[in-house]
Amino acid sequence: MNGPASVASPEKVTIPVSGMTCAACSSRVQRTLARQPGVAGASVNLMLENAVVAYDAAAVTPEQLVEAIRATGYGAELASRDQTAFQEQEALDRGRQEEYSALRLKVGVSLVLASVGMVISMPVMSAPMTGEHAGHGTGEGAAAGDPFMNWVHGAIDPWLAGAMPWLYQVDVQLLVYALLGMTVVTMGWAGRHFYTRAWKAFRHHAADMNTLVATGTGAAFVFSLAATFFPDFFLDRGVAPAVYYEAVLFIIALVLLGNMLEARATTQTSAALRKLVDLQPVVARLQRGDAEVEVPVAEVVQDDVVLVRPGERIPVDGEIVEGRSAVDEAMLTGESLPVEKGPGDAVIGGTVNRTGAFRYRVTNLGADSVLSRIVRLMRDAQGSRAPIQDLVDQVTGVFVPVAISIAIATFAVWFVVGPEGALIPAFAAAVAVLIIACPCAMGLAVPTAVMVSTGKGAEAGILIKGGEALQRARDVTTVVLDKTGTVTEGRPAVTDVVLAPGGEGTEDGRAEDRMLALVAALEASSEHPLGEAIVRHAEGRGIPRLRVERFDSVTGRGAVGEVGGVPVAVGNARLMADHAVDISAMEEVAASLGGRGRTPMFVAVDGSLAGIIAVADPIRETSRAAIERLGRMGLDVVLLTGDNRRTADAVAAEAGIQRVVAEVLPEGKLEEIRRLQEAGAVVAMVGDGINDAPALARADVGIAMGSGTDIAAEASDVVLMRGDLQGVPSAIHLSRRTFRTMRQNLFWAFVYNTAAIPVAAGVLYPFFGILLSPILASAAMALSSVSVVTNSLRLRTLRLA
Amino acid sequence: MTTWDVVVIVGAVAAIAWVNWYFFFAATEGAPRRGGEGESAP
Repeated sequence: MNGPASVASPEKVTIPVSGMTCAACSSRVQRTLARQPGVAGASVNLMLENAVVAYDAAAVTPEQLVEAIRATGYGAELASRDQTAFQEQEALDRGRQEEYSALRLKVGVSLVLASVGMVISMPVMSAPMTGEHAGHGTGEGAAAGDPFMNWVHGAIDPWLAGAMPWLYQVDVQLLVYALLGMTVVTMGWAGRHFYTRAWKAFRHHAADMNTLVATGTGAAFVFSLAATFFPDFFLDRGVAPAVYYEAVLFIIALVLLGNMLEARATTQTSAALRKLVDLQPVVARLQRGDAEVEVPVAEVVQDDVVLVRPGERIPVDGEIVEGRSAVDEAMLTGESLPVEKGPGDAVIGGTVNRTGAFRYRVTNLGADSVLSRIVRLMRDAQGSRAPIQDLVDQVTGVFVPVAISIAIATFAVWFVVGPEGALIPAFAAAVAVLIIACPCAMGLAVPTAVMVSTGKGAEAGILIKGGEALQRARDVTTVVLDKTGTVTEGRPAVTDVVLAPGGEGTEDGRAEDRMLALVAALEASSEHPLGEAIVRHAEGRGIPRLRVERFDSVTGRGAVGEVGGVPVAVGNARLMADHAVDISAMEEVAASLGGRGRTPMFVAVDGSLAGIIAVADPIRETSRAAIERLGRMGLDVVLLTGDNRRTADAVAAEAGIQRVVAEVLPEGKLEEIRRLQEAGAVVAMVGDGINDAPALARADVGIAMGSGTDIAAEASDVVLMRGDLQGVPSAIHLSRRTFRTMRQNLFWAFVYNTAAIPVAAGVLYPFFGILLSPILASAAMALSSVSVVTNSLRLRTLRLA
Repeated sequence: MTTWDVVVIVGAVAAIAWVNWYFFFAATEGAPRRGGEGESAP
């Protein structure tokens, strides 16, 4: 959790980075940034194509960081400071779309060229090996070349010879030149970036996926080139001068196809984020003087008055000045029921007005708006790293050079130990090893899972602030709940109205209404939260407000005054004693209410006891169910409160919590969490995020209950947008499932690479005669990346409720 | 074992040694390369 930074208070900057293709790329940029002076921490995300750097502004500037990234061979540029999260996201999406279109064209063209190349290579393969031209590895007597091509040759050559006999009349050398031409086009245009990026990496002593593709295809190309122009050199040594152009064509086409599918799938992982960005309306209807004008949202300024009609989307954040309505905030908070709003209530840009029309005054704009902050927070979260990623980086960092070493060894072993003239299969095996060793799937395993699940959480009103929080939430053993505002509503409400025995009108509630009317009138002048609860309760019952003639607040006791000429006193027993009111008839009722955690207030009207109004902070409707769910998930639940033991016990009993720690001061909460942690518990602390900030920060996972508009809760790792404790089990459930997905992804990626490399090297050949074709290797590699992304996308179907 | 076999074995051992030296050891030796001549992006 928010560990101490190595600099006083580091600044944070997000730098978009372009040109990264795999985990090795991002870890290289990350290492470079971490090495810069004054950098406290750097997190580079392959999916979001950015680097989030915490740095000491006195030691380094963002411009220097950008320079450092560029020197590594990748593109970097600082985003403009006033750019909102929307503009950033839109720019990112646009860039991605362009890249995707370009990639699609390359895939299309290179696949066509590869298919044509395969057809052309059939007559080449059938031609007898002579010194006049290069052929293919299947010439008589030669050991098996590319096994896949041999199989294809066996399958389609007879048919092709019948269907296109003219092709077999063409001079073989001419066909080889045609293949060479197509290969040059594919390598120089469609696959150009593999070579340029591999070269850039190489110059920095680094190797990544591009290195493997470039070396594999490059070696095959150079070999084929030699076979094309100097076939005699091979023939003299008893080796068939085979060409491998169609393998190069297919490898590039298939790796590009894999990249394209991967790009399409990763776009889907940020779908939730894009949905949020799309919530931003384009125009707002403003009141300017007496006129209504429609203006673009970008031109709205602070304190403008906006008009909203039923069914319209609320354009920007603000506070209602006139009118009432129900507002659908589901898209931001996950709350399915529309929320009633009236004058003074905050409305959030992007939410939908349902029933009424209202006017509101604009409060937050641009980058400060709630929606923009959520988008930014989610982008940062999606760009953050899960700790498990460190393991992946360590592996991928050594993987590529090791794979190259294995490929060289494979070639040597085949050459020395293999059958006579084993140069061709030796070469095929080495190329297959290079191609299949690409650690793309490993690089995608963790970030895609983080992206999908943070998006999934946001849809349900659960904002998880990063991969680290996501991973830690899975280990939580104990959930500590703050009472006020977390388990309870955090707003006192009238729970009981009890009339003194012997009063009139008790049957039809008239006496109750009259008592409430008198007390509400009095309390309307008070600012005490208990008084506010009574006023709200009276308003809710439609009781008309009476006029107050006199009002006095008696500190620590209650309030006295005169309403409609009648003297009224509301307060505790001491206030009643001050006014010589006999409360003996209701003392028992008061004690019983107190025992249930409620605060009883005696009401005296005209000098005699009229009844008791009890006020309490009621527990949230969903709290009990949520706590049961936490119990079923095997988690210990602890109620932590500064309140007295009696109230705490009452709330705990109602909510179904067994362990209660009451009467703790705010510092005590911190101490209590430390104590639990020392006892070996991994603690999630749930609080309102304001009073509990130190405890939230101390806990392994701090969960803040937001109220919809308040997402800034800095100290927390998770923000629940909706005031609903159900978000806590949901968040932990999401975390557990996400971690499982990451582990599955990593398992398959590792297994795939570790199992496939020996097969590609030919260990099965002596026993079963199985040799992996480089073409099949490239297809398998593309498939493995796609399968990892697809597995992460499965998280989208998770039910969180 | 032919001469070619010996050549290939020696070459392979040398290549593997070089690859590992270049990517693991040469990368950490001395200061990281700074942008300068020969560093223009292709």
